[in-house]
Amino acid sequence: MKIVSAHAARITAAAFATLAAITPAHAHLIGTRFGDFYAGAFHPITDLNDVLLWLALGLLAGSLQGERSRWLVLLFPLGLACGFVVSTSAGITFGGNATNATLIGALGLALAAGTRIPAPLLGIIGFSLGVTRGIANAAAIEATTNLTLFGAGLACAGYATITLLMALVMAFRRAEAGPATAWRGIALRALGGWIAAIGLMMIGFTYAGSGST
Amino acid sequence: MFSLRFSPIAALAVALVLTPLILLSEPALAHEQAGIAGGALSGFLHPLTGPDHMIAMVAVGIWGAQLGVPAIWVLPITFPIVMAAGGVLGILKLPLPFEEPVIALSALVLGAAVAIRLKLPFAFAAAIVAVFAIFHGYAHGTELPHAANPLAYGIGFVVATGLLHLCGISIGLLLRWPVGDRLIRGMGAAIALLGCYFLVRSLGGIA
Repeated sequence: MKIVSAHAARITAAAFATLAAITPAHAHLIGTRFGDFYAGAFHPITDLNDVLLWLALGLLAGSLQGERSRWLVLLFPLGLACGFVVSTSAGITFGGNATNATLIGALGLALAAGTRIPAPLLGIIGFSLGVTRGIANAAAIEATTNLTLFGAGLACAGYATITLLMALVMAFRRAEAGPATAWRGIALRALGGWIAAIGLMMIGFTYAGSGST
Repeated sequence: MFSLRFSPIAALAVALVLTPLILLSEPALAHEQAGIAGGALSGFLHPLTGPDHMIAMVAVGIWGAQLGVPAIWVLPITFPIVMAAGGVLGILKLPLPFEEPVIALSALVLGAAVAIRLKLPFAFAAAIVAVFAIFHGYAHGTELPHAANPLAYGIGFVVATGLLHLCGISIGLLLRWPVGDRLIRGMGAAIALLGCYFLVRSLGGIA
């Protein structure tokens, strides 16, 4: 009986402690202390162009193996940060649907064809893509946005996404050990075919203009 | 000979199965776009809800598996790109005659190729599939500009088409077994028959 009472007392004390520690829930991260950081980090998810382009770049870089693509880990987030800074300081905007579609198509085709892109060219592509996406994401900032936090969040998201994608693809390809597992490379190239197809159609849609609807 | 007898237990079992099915039934939607705002799901469902598209795409995968290397890996990589070229024709509203009959014909030809295990030179097989890919892409492409989010719609139908090929290639793995080979050829015959039906219907033979 004594044991039960002591146990019940501990549970009650823990429950009171938990209830006392409750703070109001924030449905939007903007209301928290690091809201702008997370806003910057998660903003690319809200644009399918970002999702596709980052995915295509990560898959392509990973398929080229570490020797050629390791600089992208730095260059892509640096490009994002540069684009963001240029856009916020000089007021440059990016509304290039045709550029996005062309980049999606080109990256997809390079992946589908298994093109061995040289490291310097891959670095230039990654940095340029980062700059354009940094400018595009800067369009989301408001008067109250903390630019440093938003930009840092964006660059960190770029770093994490590219690094993880490259690592995943390299680990996926590394398990290839002969004809029985050659499908792994084919699967990656097939994904490139899908991305290229989407890019090609979006090029057509962009050039067809509003008259096509 | 066997006789049919009324069994109360069997009747109860049938009633128990049918009752929830009837209660759960919903009105049929003849148009797959209903209730969907033309996004990724809408694009994804477009090839899946058009039976002529679906069986032709699966047949492409199976035929690729039958033809072996290099068709089995060239097909899933290049088909979406060629299909996208057809999609661009549709987006630009360039006229492409006999769209529906050729899509139906694709199911008939590809199904027949699977059924008779047609072995063609790779370039010739690729050319046949490429022509059909353009017509399938055209049909999807004409819908794309009307989507609420054309990019999401495009992603949806490319992914669905790729998965249908994958499904066909996976079915093609049954070729390792003699029974699987016969099963696949039977499947090809069924696809060809369905293609024949869609072809007659598209030409106005069936209301």
